Amino acid sequence: MKLIKTKEENLEENYLELHYDTIDEETSAVLDRLRDTLRYIEGTFEDKKVTVALTDIFYIETVDRKTFAYTKDMCVEIKEALRDILEEYSNIGFARISKSTVVNIYKIKKLQGDINMRVIIFLKNDEKLIMNRSFKNEFYERLNKLQGRKTK
Amino acid sequence: MKLINKKNFISIVCIFFTLITCGKLLAEKLSNFTDKYYTDNIFTILAFSVLITLILSVHYYLQKFPFLLVFAGQYIATVGIVFICIWIHGLLSSNAPTAYLDMFWSITIPFFAGAIVYYICFFYQIKKANKILEQLQ
Repeated sequence: MKLIKTKEENLEENYLELHYDTIDEETSAVLDRLRDTLRYIEGTFEDKKVTVALTDIFYIETVDRKTFAYTKDMCVEIKEALRDILEEYSNIGFARISKSTVVNIYKIKKLQGDINMRVIIFLKNDEKLIMNRSFKNEFYERLNKLQGRKTK
Repeated sequence: MKLINKKNFISIVCIFFTLITCGKLLAEKLSNFTDKYYTDNIFTILAFSVLITLILSVHYYLQKFPFLLVFAGQYIATVGIVFICIWIHGLLSSNAPTAYLDMFWSITIPFFAGAIVYYICFFYQIKKANKILEQLQ
């Protein structure tokens, strides 16, 4: 399978186009991975229904039994519970960092430790999250899995 | 993840006991020291191993609290329990004049050594994770 990248100026949105005669095993594997990555989630923002790409979500948090997904400029209320999100989307980079928060690993800028052994997560939108010590191992395991997938 | 549970509690006590006893015997061999209270000390090591395993097993339930607070609490609890045991032992028979000081160092050194190792591992994990995050970008 060949990958051809073409730079087009003034393009509104990046897109992928697949040219095929038959979908072989390799292509199917790529499509499966893309399908996961290009998934969307529905929710409400300012009383309007919106659809958000999972890749745009920085983190998801539960507050007063409501679940909110935070993007760069929106805080969308979604129906899914944190447990369901982890079950469905942990393979595309979502990892639990506390009882009420799930973070998108691809949106993390860096990690920093403090004297109380808490891990501070700096996100690409300059927000900071605190990782609970009891979720540290789970988070690192998820990170290692993602790295393994990338190096394959 | 719960590292110390009902199933492996005894095994961990045994590991602690073996390591401390081997360390004690090695130190005695190197300094040509003969322990007059060998039997007493062996049982003290066993009691200490049970106590330290018990205290470390509680750590899992305290993970939501700040580490320094948990560390200080566990250290004070261990020192307190050991000192009470020495005091009770002193009522039944005579203690060495340096008993409290000896036990203080016997607890303090492993506790702080453990904390330093824990800190180093913690910051090493973060450094490693940051490298992976860089690769993922």
